[in-house]
Amino acid sequence: MLSLFQSASPYSIDIEAVDDIFQTGKTVDNFRIGYEVHRGGMAILKEAFIDFEEDPILLKIPRVGKDQPIENLICFETELTILRSLNSPYVPRFIKGGNLAKTPYIAMSRIPGVALEKILIEKKQFSIEQTITIALNLLKALQNLHAQEVIHLDLKPDNILVDDNHEVYLIDFGLAHHARFPDLLAEEMRKGIGSAPYISPEQIVGVREDCRSDIFAFGVIVYEMLTGKLPFDNPQTLNGLKKRFWAQANPPRSIRTDVPPWLQEIVLRCLEPYAKDRYQSATHIRQLLREPSTIKLTERSERLAPLSLWENMKRWFRVTGYEPSPILRSEIIYEQAPLMVATIDVSGENEPMFERMQRAASNIMKVFPEGRISCISIITNSPTFEGVREIDSASGQFRRHLIRLKDWAKPLNMSEERISYHVLEATDAASKIVEFAKDNDAAVILLGASRFIPNRVVPWRSTMTKVVEEAQCSVHIVRI
Amino acid sequence: MIRHMFDSRIAFFADVHSNLEALDACLDHARQQGAKKFVFLGDLVGYNANPNEVLDRVMQLMNAGQAIAIRGNHDTACFENYRDQMNPIAHLAIEWTASKLSHEHLDFLKKLPLIHYEEDRCYVHASAYQPEAWHYVTDGLSAWRSAESSGKIYTFSGHVHGQALYYQSSVGKLICFTPHPGDAVPTGRHRRWVAIAGSVGQPRDSNPKANYLLFDVENECSYFHRVSYNHVLTADKVLSAGLPEDLSTRLLKGL
Repeated sequence: MLSLFQSASPYSIDIEAVDDIFQTGKTVDNFRIGYEVHRGGMAILKEAFIDFEEDPILLKIPRVGKDQPIENLICFETELTILRSLNSPYVPRFIKGGNLAKTPYIAMSRIPGVALEKILIEKKQFSIEQTITIALNLLKALQNLHAQEVIHLDLKPDNILVDDNHEVYLIDFGLAHHARFPDLLAEEMRKGIGSAPYISPEQIVGVREDCRSDIFAFGVIVYEMLTGKLPFDNPQTLNGLKKRFWAQANPPRSIRTDVPPWLQEIVLRCLEPYAKDRYQSATHIRQLLREPSTIKLTERSERLAPLSLWENMKRWFRVTGYEPSPILRSEIIYEQAPLMVATIDVSGENEPMFERMQRAASNIMKVFPEGRISCISIITNSPTFEGVREIDSASGQFRRHLIRLKDWAKPLNMSEERISYHVLEATDAASKIVEFAKDNDAAVILLGASRFIPNRVVPWRSTMTKVVEEAQCSVHIVRI
Repeated sequence: MIRHMFDSRIAFFADVHSNLEALDACLDHARQQGAKKFVFLGDLVGYNANPNEVLDRVMQLMNAGQAIAIRGNHDTACFENYRDQMNPIAHLAIEWTASKLSHEHLDFLKKLPLIHYEEDRCYVHASAYQPEAWHYVTDGLSAWRSAESSGKIYTFSGHVHGQALYYQSSVGKLICFTPHPGDAVPTGRHRRWVAIAGSVGQPRDSNPKANYLLFDVENECSYFHRVSYNHVLTADKVLSAGLPEDLSTRLLKGL
């Protein structure tokens, strides 16, 4: 790890050696200390037991003492604060924190998984399908983190655990940033702290509040899983790190021919030097990865060879200094750039509602100029056999829905980047809508009101009622 | 997990400025949160219309042994000439206040200390560095000066009307953090802190809600609270008292 720490300490702590306090066999705060699991530069991991429970938990103990660097304690305190506040199935469960000045430890659950780093060393590279599965789960974990206003800032295969079902867990929050707590890393220390291959350009100049830094690291990790190589190597000097301010990573397709162009588009866009040019949220990438046909391909997807020396020189000359993009905080993504799921009835039976929904969507997008829309249409009566006429067949029906969705969205004049179309099959439309919104972390569902028919007793709930009751986000009901 | 040791909770009220409604709302809130001790960080009077009533509340709590109060610049201006150090509207309000204060209340203000130390905590209105000069704590450097002069782990102050938490970084400098209302912010004894409670009686961040700070001694964490109160009533009282109209509007808008 590169760091620019100085020695003056804010801590009034006098611990001789943590090893004596946490000796195997001793008991600290009701935790019976077991064997050492791992000894890193900054902390020691030991297993521990609570009372007579069989399953061990983990104690993370910072390496503090007379000759230990101060960053060990800062990172420990940061992790303690953040892990305690997090509520996520994708990180270790916080059990207890010890007194920082006397018995510093974090007790947490032990996750049954293997470090992605270890798998990478064994396998060298992953199949396209495996890469996508793990990437999707990694994005799910990131999305959960960012929604809690936490940025990891040290994402790397070492800090990602993968279990047998390819579920992903994030560990080590020593360098993380939480918008709701004081950031304990002093300004002087912020520059370039992280892991050389994975650190984003803006972190190199000291930015710690931008959630898109994690998107960059995500890009490096997927690049590595696909190619077995690092896009910007593993530089050991500040000048070496700065290469990523201007350099273009060798396209994955130049290393491995079976990488689909759309996947290269995603990876290279995550690696853009300026955060504003990357995808803006984990949610967005996740949605694209699951529906590659909706990805907008650019020149990035077509690159087949590394840049020539001459092209590289030109890029290097053009860059006189690196000025990071304006900071995008995670709370802004979810509040200012929300995803709206617009549920459109494409049957053509209710034209006034079709138009009213257009106006409602357009008004909402005026308030959120960075917002995105996913237009969805549900096919409930999917034909079991191919019809005689093209229009009755499954594919014909699907196409008709898609065309109508695009017709609906046309007056909104949204860039391709901000809008997507989905025709979904379901017997229970409401459940499908709710599930889609939840999966994509939508902020609001836009729905046309069911028509009220006097004197009719409906024994079941309408789609509208069910969506309103079951959705985990806001629901906007449009009425004429 | 954070235990709730209610006995160890102290509520800090700064810049109450004769706003009885805001003070009562904050006192209620703090009591519900388990506060048993109250510290008034100066500027009990000035600007608004209930100086005597606010002082009665404070004196009552002090007589019961539940409160400590510090003197602020507006309190001092009631018996010393501060005409040149204050803006004209603030000074008009001080002249009005001084004319309304009873002898007993004026005497009470005169006897208040400028700074108070308790265990590892220091209470002061503006800055612990030359408390009588009312230096504003607005950045890392001014916060550092205050922390250095107080010599304590925690320095609690007001004067600046917005809430802020300055924390000592690993190179010794103090860094400013803007807390989110109601969060439990860990403020451990192993580093030094300067906490600005924010104004109870005259919020200035375009949000009319009153500010106060709750510190949990046992669990070493701080809560920066915002509390709604009937600010329309307070604003009306300012008008009927014949105080400048500006002082009424700023309560409504939080200016």
